[in-house]
Amino acid sequence: MAPLALMQPLDSNAVEGVSRDEPAWLAELRTEWWSRVEADPWPTGAEEEWRRTSLDNLPRDGGLLLDAPVATYELDPRLAERGVIFSDLASAIWEHGDLVRAHLGRHETLSAQMPFWARSLAAWTGGTFLYVPKGVTMDVPLTARTTLPSGAYTYLPHTLVVVEEGASATLLEEVSSPDGQPVWFGGTADVRAGYGARLRYANLQRLGDEVWRIGAQRVEVGQDANVTTLNAEIGSAISKVGMDVRMTGKGGSSRLLGLLAAGDAQSIDFNSVQDLIGSHTTSDLLYLSALYGASHASFYGVTRVRPEAKQTSSYQECRNLLLSPNAGAEPIPVLEIETNDILRCGHGATAGAIDPVQRFYAQSRGMSAESAERMIVRGFFERVVAQIDSEPIKARVLDALAARIGSADEAAA
Amino acid sequence: MIDELEIRDLEVSIGQKKILKGLSLTVRVGEVHALMGPNGSGKTSLAYTLMGHPDYHVDAGSVTWRGEDLLSKKMTPDKRAQAGIFLAFQYPSAIPGVTVASFLRNIYNAVHHPKQPAADESDGAMPKYTGIPLAKFRKLMEEKMALLHMDPAVAARYVNEGFSGGEKKRLEMLQMAIINPTIAILDETDSGLDIDALRTVAEGINATLSPEMGVLMITHYQRMLNYVKPQFVHVLLDGRVVMSGGEELSHKLEANGYDWVREQVGLPSGVGDEVAEPVAEHV
Ligand SMILES: Nc1ncnc2c1ncn2[C@@H]1O[C@H](COP(=O)(O)OP(=O)(O)OP(=O)(O)O)[C@@H](O)[C@H]1O
Ligand SMILES: [Mg+2]
Repeated sequence: MAPLALMQPLDSNAVEGVSRDEPAWLAELRTEWWSRVEADPWPTGAEEEWRRTSLDNLPRDGGLLLDAPVATYELDPRLAERGVIFSDLASAIWEHGDLVRAHLGRHETLSAQMPFWARSLAAWTGGTFLYVPKGVTMDVPLTARTTLPSGAYTYLPHTLVVVEEGASATLLEEVSSPDGQPVWFGGTADVRAGYGARLRYANLQRLGDEVWRIGAQRVEVGQDANVTTLNAEIGSAISKVGMDVRMTGKGGSSRLLGLLAAGDAQSIDFNSVQDLIGSHTTSDLLYLSALYGASHASFYGVTRVRPEAKQTSSYQECRNLLLSPNAGAEPIPVLEIETNDILRCGHGATAGAIDPVQRFYAQSRGMSAESAERMIVRGFFERVVAQIDSEPIKARVLDALAARIGSADEAAA
Repeated sequence: MIDELEIRDLEVSIGQKKILKGLSLTVRVGEVHALMGPNGSGKTSLAYTLMGHPDYHVDAGSVTWRGEDLLSKKMTPDKRAQAGIFLAFQYPSAIPGVTVASFLRNIYNAVHHPKQPAADESDGAMPKYTGIPLAKFRKLMEEKMALLHMDPAVAARYVNEGFSGGEKKRLEMLQMAIINPTIAILDETDSGLDIDALRTVAEGINATLSPEMGVLMITHYQRMLNYVKPQFVHVLLDGRVVMSGGEELSHKLEANGYDWVREQVGLPSGVGDEVAEPVAEHV
């Protein structure tokens, strides 16, 4: 196998190196973001969002991965004719420069994630670009699947999704990598749904067991737009993701779904802000985790209802099933409500073991304790799974989960 | 091999509380037994103990099924089910997110196609599906649902979630029909059923019953026994079977309660009774 092309270390020279053969505007953009990197402090661990994940052992010495894996981007030619662009971000720079330029790196995200957001925007070498022009609707889900190479490196891909007015799309991004490789995976996503747009965005994380996934997602939901995101977290050693969901347009709605399955010493830590900015917006979050071994899940979720956001409706729900006495979970919901004029705002957070009554019931029907447990966990996940309305994505997610929770087709054990 | 479930001098406690104090009872395949006793006398405890519920501690006595020790450590609840024992729960549990169809297929496969552990499964990879073909299972399920006059839409609902009392009992009988056990313990399957449902469920039981099946029916009421005729009726009091008889005993109990039994066997009034009188049921 050819050695990996790496740029090391990750500094301003690396950023310059990455942009050497790129258009000038992009080199400038990268430099601007790198200046943010230099201005913004690295998390100290005292920040509320960083109290549950220490970055002390983040593998930072690997150098920046240059030859990024490129997914196979399949798009119906008829959609391409209508202006849909679905490709890797690096190619889009050349083929649709003006469009990318109009949208790339335009926004900041949560301050907790800014160091990583800025690094990714300065030093991305891979990622996906999806653009759906006004009024174009698609039924078939798009898939961008990448497998990372072996090696010790830093990889900070950026995905940009823009769905214009009245358009609709479904995208699954899936990333996997081999076990035993100390990688810093800092993938970020900037997702925007315009007026009346409809977007389903799923992210399936199957990274190797020594990967540190430090991610950030920014989702902006326009007027009357309808967005569902799904994060299915299965792999990695450490996963820390910040979700910045901005309900900017009046009447927009979002559903934020999560399926987390972890084992061994895995740690998954999410922080989210459901920012209700526009009036009559709706945002419902449902994160479910099944925790085995000595794994741990934290969820620090903020629902913010701005003073000018009237008649909003929001919910934050985080349920953790602890499948081992050594597993742990820490769901922390925070409500910041700055108006009296709300329709609904609530939260629910639990962490607990499987109900022994359920297990005995299933076991008394002939299922082994393990098989009964897997079935109960599948049932527990069903509340999210049932909301994945794309069948191929559902199948893909269930397939990825099967190693932990079995499948409905498993013969009885 | 003797086709019988033999319970001898069984003593069971839960926590510090002694519930069964030397209970003996034998159910042979092909026989229908009724077990009656006041609230809190330990009927459900007996049923749970037979099924291997981890909370019920066997202090003394034995239970053998076809000559084998049913209480041995390796006879976990699933093994007991695979050996042909079935318990219809008095209070069936909900399993959120698991559809009735999927659950039934799982339990059918668990009992009829128990998987042989393969050597190469240690990495967590899922074994190939070796259970009943889907179409065949559908047919079986629909046939049994029709037998119990169940709405086919129930198949898509989650197990016992939001089910009425009667619907739960019907689902217990559906599971019994799917599993087709050799010994069926029915813990108050008649409770919570309206008059028509009682008849339907009883017909379902009778249709499932065969000379290859033994039944231990726990009940407070005669009405079920009018449909499913027992050859033997037993009275559980003070942790023991204190009296056994034929079908006429159940009529006598229904008419007169348990005090005369206590008197006859020399127990003070109210013993073996949590509530002095059986609680009237709302049907
Ligand atoms: N988990 C438990 N913890 C403490 N006590 C228990 C437990 N389960 C049962 N018991 C007690 O054991 C006794 C027997 O209960 P059991 O449920 O077996 O009675 P039963 O005969 O089935 O009554 P019913 O007719 O009301 O169904 C009761 O006094 C009950 O309170
Ligand atoms: Mg009972």
